[in-house]
Amino acid sequence: MKRVGKWVFFVVFILILFFTYTSVFGIYGENGDYSITYIKGIQDIRWGIDIKGGVEAVFAPADGVDATDDQMNAVKSIIDLRLVNQNVTDYELYPDFSNDRITVRFPWKSDEENYDPGEAIKELASTAQMVFRGGSEKDGEELLTGKEVNRAYVSTIETGNGNHSIVVNLEFTDEGKQKFAEATKKYQGQKISIWMDDTCISAPTVNSVITDGKCYIEGGSDKNGGFTAEEATALANKINAGALPFNLKIESYGTISPSLGTYALTAMGIASIAALCFIFIFMVAVYRLPGFVAFIALLGQLSVSIMAVSGYFPVFASFTMTIPGIAGMILSIGMGVDANIITAERIKDELWTGKTLDGCIAKGTKSSLSAIIDGNITIIIVAIILILVFGPANIFSSLFGVSTTGLIYAFGYTLLVGVIANFIMGVAASRLMLRSVSGLKFLRNRRLYGGKKKS
Amino acid sequence: MRQKFHIDFIKNSKIYFGISLGIMLVCLILNIFVIPTRVDIQFTGGTIVKYSYSGDLKEKEITEVAQKATKDTISFTFAENLASSDSNSHMVSLEFTNAKAITVDEQDEVTKAFTDAFPDNNFKVEESSSVDASKGANFFFKCIAAVILAAVLIIGYVAIRFKKIGGMSAGVMAVVALVHDLIIVYFVFAMFNMALDDNFIAVVLMILGYSVNDTIVIYDRIRENRKKMGPKATTAEVSNASMNQCLTRTICTTITTMAAIGSVLVVSLIYNIDSIISFALPMMVGLISGCYSSICIAVPLWVMWKNNSDKKKLEKEKAKKSAASDAKKTSSKAAASKKADLKKKETKPAKKAENSVKLEKEEKSDDASDKASENNTEE
Repeated sequence: MKRVGKWVFFVVFILILFFTYTSVFGIYGENGDYSITYIKGIQDIRWGIDIKGGVEAVFAPADGVDATDDQMNAVKSIIDLRLVNQNVTDYELYPDFSNDRITVRFPWKSDEENYDPGEAIKELASTAQMVFRGGSEKDGEELLTGKEVNRAYVSTIETGNGNHSIVVNLEFTDEGKQKFAEATKKYQGQKISIWMDDTCISAPTVNSVITDGKCYIEGGSDKNGGFTAEEATALANKINAGALPFNLKIESYGTISPSLGTYALTAMGIASIAALCFIFIFMVAVYRLPGFVAFIALLGQLSVSIMAVSGYFPVFASFTMTIPGIAGMILSIGMGVDANIITAERIKDELWTGKTLDGCIAKGTKSSLSAIIDGNITIIIVAIILILVFGPANIFSSLFGVSTTGLIYAFGYTLLVGVIANFIMGVAASRLMLRSVSGLKFLRNRRLYGGKKKS
Repeated sequence: MRQKFHIDFIKNSKIYFGISLGIMLVCLILNIFVIPTRVDIQFTGGTIVKYSYSGDLKEKEITEVAQKATKDTISFTFAENLASSDSNSHMVSLEFTNAKAITVDEQDEVTKAFTDAFPDNNFKVEESSSVDASKGANFFFKCIAAVILAAVLIIGYVAIRFKKIGGMSAGVMAVVALVHDLIIVYFVFAMFNMALDDNFIAVVLMILGYSVNDTIVIYDRIRENRKKMGPKATTAEVSNASMNQCLTRTICTTITTMAAIGSVLVVSLIYNIDSIISFALPMMVGLISGCYSSICIAVPLWVMWKNNSDKKKLEKEKAKKSAASDAKKTSSKAAASKKADLKKKETKPAKKAENSVKLEKEEKSDDASDKASENNTEE
């Protein structure tokens, strides 16, 4: 067997402790009055609405209208706009184009004591009120409403010298055509503003009288003063939302108060600490040295799981964690030790045949691998299916529609992450540690591995 | 091979079958006549609103006020509110039973009725959920499709995996054990009067994945021991030895898994968090059942099946032989098979000898590959 250096154990051990500490507590600095987050810890995890309290709602076109994709985009953008207006920034919004559904989830606003979630949902679903007003003020003369807009779309126009710029085109209905012609006559050289539920979404200047019911809006934050593609699409979507030919209905909704959620979070915290303590005592008592190594690996597995939800590495986006998600994490700790138990048992078996310690460890780790893989493959299959069923828009939900609840999604996710983390820590790292630690003279007693005294 | 336990699982198998069938039968009867299955509004559609309030109020007063505010029939559940620091805080849960989503306005009316009637009792919506019936049905089909897909994938995996270890018959028995576990999970929900909801689907999927693990590990051991113990050992002996050797691992893994999910359960019981209890309790029972069924159901069934099919094979061979040798005599087949029955014991060793040749071949090739890989690791 190839010997693994004695120092390897200490390196892996310290690395795991470092990862565990930082993934739990994070690393924060201070720059004057500002605190800077270098590494995100548990307190930075985005908690789901079952913990923070919040609102979950599914909207659909009323009266069974079959909406087009553009119309769904319009619905999405209006809900976006309204959420931002309500000062809700930490929301999740999932449109489902194949079933014309849109799911919204957002946490309770922490600063508001008497927040009325029912009111918030109603507001989101209410019919968009789009008004064209003379001038750029809110009390300007009402010229047209959203009903008179046929559609808005993005295109590019030539601006001379081979330059192109992106514009938002507007098409009016026959009725709107006339009104718009009058309006542009009256406000030529001045501004006409477009208002969506009391928010000004655009205030272009009228360059000429428009009689054919078609116009375009230029301008934006591009370096040439034009729209970026994103800006143009956003504006077109908003205008389309104001012109939606259908109302939204609330298909399902749920609210959870924050007091209930924080209470549950405390409970889950206690549960995970209790589980860890029990597993530590059990593993060390039954498997001694391999048991201790297994526990260190387990800490590593837990820290990888936490990293995967907290956004520890900026490359991976943070994940919305729910109570079933935490349960999945705890469960994967309990199941993760299985890899170490199978290996430790095999090593014990080998020791009883009287081989050398190194030989036993080599044989034991090798023969246990297939059983470990077996155990994890089925869990991976199940975890992926859980993610598909309860997750936001994916292949599965385009066939069957969005789920009425998305809390279990996190369970599938933590389960999957747990299995992957288990392979990294519970299998790879713990084997490395075990081989390395068995090179230390004072730890070569066979009894430490569950064998007889000395053959 | 070191072996701590010496339990004759095969001999006791009838007891295990009896226990499992007995539990299922009792649960089934209770389920039909006493505790009907409840399905959550997530699938059926409907509305549940939970209010918290402080102070002592008569339950009758509350139900009357609420019922006046709406045309729908409401069913009420009362509980203590443990989440509140106020010791005199209560919860009331209103379920609108006509399986349709009530609007936000309708819900507001009920809330208003409460605050008007009991202005000093701090009525507050703690939790509400409302699902449209058609959407609930869609979600239900989605879940069913997911469970079927998972089952197909798991059975596919079992089929591929068992080709190597026990053959088709072992795979079928693993699936029987799996179905056993799922039935138990269902009955946990039914017996504790927990509504079938997203938690149920999560637990069912989880058990689908977990249950076959133990079974595969044990069959792997059986295959290994078949080679080690030689042709003289009967299927029952090999299986017993394998299960006993695996038992430490099975028990230890179950203990750590139980410790994990168990601590979730205990804490959620102490804190009285329904949504976690209905997740952790069936999960825990399902995991125990998964481990029990691989040892007490899957393998004993397989041994029974194996013995039976071996017997039949022998009978057939014997029948053929006697038919050929006594071609002139027109003795009935029944007589021949009777003879075969009588001579079964004698022919068994012969049959086993045939098997052993095959097994030895396998062993040789396996050993060779073992040695090759060992050499690699020793370099």
